[in-house]
Amino acid sequence: MKSLRSGLIASLLLALPLTALAGPDTTLDPARDLPLWWWSIPAAATLALLMAWYFYRSIMACSEGTDRMKEIACYVREGAYAYLHRQYKTVIIFFLVVSAVLAFMAFGLEVQHPLVPFAFITGGFFSGLAGFFGMKTATHASARTAQAASESLNQGLTVAFRAGAVMGLTVVGLALLDISLWFLYLYRFHHLLVGGSPMNLETITVVMLCFGMGASSQALFARVGGGIFTKAADVGADLVGKVEAGIPEDDPRNPATIADNVGDNVGDVAGMGADLYESYAGSILATAALGVAAISFGGLPAGYQGDTMSAALITFLSAPMLLAAAGILLSILGIFLVKTREGATMSQLIWALNRGIYGSSILVVGVAAAIVHFLGLPWGIFGAIVTGILVGLIIGKGTEIFTAADYKPTQRIADASRSGTGPLIISGIAEGMMSTWVPIATVGLGMILAFAFCQGTTNMLLGLYGVGFAAVGMLSTLGITLATDAYGPIADNAGGNAEMAQLGPEVRKRTDALDSLGNTTAAIGKGFAIGSAALTALALLAAYMEEVRVGLHREAAVAYQAPAPGQAYAVKALGFGKYGIYLPGNDTADHLTLSAFESQSDHSLILPFEGRDIEIVLNQIGEAVYTLPLHGTPFERLIGDTTGGGLKAGLNDYMDYYNITLINPNVLVGVFLGVMLVFMFSAQTMKAVGRAASAMVQEVRRQFAEFPGIMAGTQKPDYARCVYISTVGAQREMIVPTLMAVTMPVAVGLVLDVAGVMGLLVGGLTSGYAVAVFMANSGGAWDNAKKYIEAGHHGGKGSDPHKAAVVGDTVGDPFKDTSGPSLNILIKLMNMVSIVFAGLIVKYGPQIGSWLNIRP
Amino acid sequence: MTPHLYLICNRLEALVASHLTAEDFGTYMAVGTRKNNYGNVMFFEIDPAVRHAYPAADAALRQCTPRPDGQPRRSKYASIYRVMENLPRSAFNRLYLGTRDGRVLGLDPTEPASEPLESSPYLYQELAPVAPLVTSSLAPAAFADHITNPANLVHVPRIFFADLRVDRDPDGHLAGSLPYPHPPHIEDCLRDMAEQPGKKIKTVNRNPEMRAFYRTIRHGFYLGDQDGLTAYPFPTSETLDALHHPWWRSASME
Repeated sequence: MKSLRSGLIASLLLALPLTALAGPDTTLDPARDLPLWWWSIPAAATLALLMAWYFYRSIMACSEGTDRMKEIACYVREGAYAYLHRQYKTVIIFFLVVSAVLAFMAFGLEVQHPLVPFAFITGGFFSGLAGFFGMKTATHASARTAQAASESLNQGLTVAFRAGAVMGLTVVGLALLDISLWFLYLYRFHHLLVGGSPMNLETITVVMLCFGMGASSQALFARVGGGIFTKAADVGADLVGKVEAGIPEDDPRNPATIADNVGDNVGDVAGMGADLYESYAGSILATAALGVAAISFGGLPAGYQGDTMSAALITFLSAPMLLAAAGILLSILGIFLVKTREGATMSQLIWALNRGIYGSSILVVGVAAAIVHFLGLPWGIFGAIVTGILVGLIIGKGTEIFTAADYKPTQRIADASRSGTGPLIISGIAEGMMSTWVPIATVGLGMILAFAFCQGTTNMLLGLYGVGFAAVGMLSTLGITLATDAYGPIADNAGGNAEMAQLGPEVRKRTDALDSLGNTTAAIGKGFAIGSAALTALALLAAYMEEVRVGLHREAAVAYQAPAPGQAYAVKALGFGKYGIYLPGNDTADHLTLSAFESQSDHSLILPFEGRDIEIVLNQIGEAVYTLPLHGTPFERLIGDTTGGGLKAGLNDYMDYYNITLINPNVLVGVFLGVMLVFMFSAQTMKAVGRAASAMVQEVRRQFAEFPGIMAGTQKPDYARCVYISTVGAQREMIVPTLMAVTMPVAVGLVLDVAGVMGLLVGGLTSGYAVAVFMANSGGAWDNAKKYIEAGHHGGKGSDPHKAAVVGDTVGDPFKDTSGPSLNILIKLMNMVSIVFAGLIVKYGPQIGSWLNIRP
Repeated sequence: MTPHLYLICNRLEALVASHLTAEDFGTYMAVGTRKNNYGNVMFFEIDPAVRHAYPAADAALRQCTPRPDGQPRRSKYASIYRVMENLPRSAFNRLYLGTRDGRVLGLDPTEPASEPLESSPYLYQELAPVAPLVTSSLAPAAFADHITNPANLVHVPRIFFADLRVDRDPDGHLAGSLPYPHPPHIEDCLRDMAEQPGKKIKTVNRNPEMRAFYRTIRHGFYLGDQDGLTAYPFPTSETLDALHHPWWRSASME
């Protein structure tokens, strides 16, 4: 068993000099030149941003319509900016505090790479920037879409979709540009600017991963805050405006109607954009990190056509970025495929969007084959990419089947409404629960297939690299799929604008058609976002263990202890079975740090220490070790085996060391806590919606009572006040859920150590994924069941079934627009926080656990 | 400021003088100034010349003076209870249909169609002076004649009612788009009526909730007595959506 494990998993990492924790990397080209094809990555990212700018300019060149249309659009725009302005103020405070904590960890406690605080900030900054640009475009596009719809359906579709494309292309462009520029800086310029040795690729990928925490944090704020905002406004507008005052939707007399329209933008545009920005960047970074680790530990994989380690490292690191770059180009192509004809039916409109998505996906398959061939990658990676794309399409179709009114599940919920509210709620919950089987089975099957395609049975890290690549494949066409998502609220706002501006029946008919299309695409987009989070999660779990490994070594490196004169090496016990081993080189600069931990693996090394023998495995060793005189030292056999690709510490050694087994109570408690966090987080966000909505209800009632002219149409409501109330409510209410998400992995890690964190992540991932799918699909199905009834079934509007359906929709609103979509960010943020704080946990977790006497 | 006369006539009968136009009056009746009255409001505009035949109307018109602050008087009630029967049918001008949020649609009076547009049984919502939901084998003119006939044990002097949709789905049940509570019960009543040729009227619901009422209107409203029938045709949903969109959107809500 031991030999099997040692054969399965490899772990050879580049040694870090004590000065910078980034060792000289002799496997890489000393000049650090990048292959010519690599430059296509930042080029594609730049092209995405240029195309986004082009689409933005083309939208801005369109007429915004009548003065009334401009006025309404202006209200929405001002409200959206007011919200973002306030949110960014809160987010900046959060980022400053967390950056200070990270800086203290890096410079004070020395458990973190010094660049992590900066990576954290840029991740958040670019994510926020993408959301801002997307929302800016969306709020400019709504009136223009309505105006374009007055010319033709195709014009309306084109304006709305290209406005969505601005969001999609901005997200993928900024994410890929951020990734490629960071990589370029760390790989080529960091050592030139700050001195020291060039960073090795593993350190580079691990530092870049930390930028995902910034993106995740920003995404959580955008999603939770946006979700609370939009539902508070929606519920306030509905309960008082519709139910109490009898005002139809999008009636300008309703004080909360502008806030409702603003909410569509901040929740479904900025929130969705920040969410998928994080998924996109996270999947690429995690896959890149695993690619480097797979090559470093496992050597050149079978099927790889290259012949040098240095080329393989760069290739495996950059391949996911290259696929993403190709996806950008094909997304742009797909965006131009989206068009329809006048009088198109709903299925024809859906096909108009699908033509772009399917067209891009099919082309990505072809281009992926070309990339694999060109880079000489194993063909299993192509299999993983195709698997990822298929997983995305199946999840999207499954979501459509379980939420669209054309299919049985939603119709069954609508049927239940004839028996009353209770049966409708039960039916919605049941259908939502049942709907989880499609994405869960698909992701599960996708993971296994991608793992197997990439030789996971013989090289676990390469298999995990394949799973990560499947996620990258799934998200490769994000440029167009996100355009489809962002299109929904734009079309919704356009419909609202047309109603409020009292445009003609033909225009309203077209905007209604565009709006209905958006409702379907929004549900599919949410399923896609959640599915990508789950698929990325396995890669992030592996990435977490990578961070643990680096954290172990950093702890050893910081506690450097020079050997006594005449000694071949020095060993320092770090406690809890961890050791720092120090080998002197030919000069001071060659002094190297090795980290190790106790293990009874068959490839462990017996090391005399303080009069006794200890069995250890090496965590990190550097290539420069090979140049050192090892003869006569206990490391001779291990180093020799390492150079031959034989005995190395791997993932299973870390799992053994941290006792990550199901019978370790720390793991099981972590799992429970992960599940608990999902439910508590959902509860907090739903209660937050309730409280914020209550404030909105009071405000709308106040305005109706104090300004009687509002209902008579002789007085304008105070729209800004409603936007302010929703904004303040959202900002206040999102703090507790966010803090829960950020602090829980750290607290669990400090108390229950790495084992507890792994349990927490697994519990959070599995339960969070299922609950998120359940909530999103239940909410979507309730919403569409109501629309199905309003379309003339079971009595239509005003009937008893409709009343029941309205209750179902109200229950489903926070399900599908607040808690559900926030859960996938919770999953990823917990992962990212764990990764960033891994060094802290590695160093202090065992101490605290030991002090509490709960360390198994 | 010229005062107008309006007769509110669903469930409650009230003759009201007001300086407001019919549209503004409808909005005022629906949403008030500081309170929000619940429910649809239906009222006729009454020819002010009726003051010569109906003293209460004359008194209300005289007392309908601008408010001390110069604002128009919104409502001066002249009479409630058994008003409709005492006004000459010729004095009933347009019929106005108000929604909960104060949108108002005016319908012009016409002569009823000479031939029934659909075969029996019919579904009628009586609106004033009594308000049950009934099925009947009689077409609107015959129904009005029957219900106002003093020879019948149960009768009223004049009746204001609407005929309602009984569209069927292909499976024979009431159309899914109709918002009636307990549609199976209505189907049973309609079937009973069809199976009993001699039966003229059957009560379906003595106190119906009248939800989404305007969506259930088939041909329109009728005001009838022993002297004849005045019809107020209701536009098709297509016409309403195209020409009266804000009203129709509001009316389509519950």
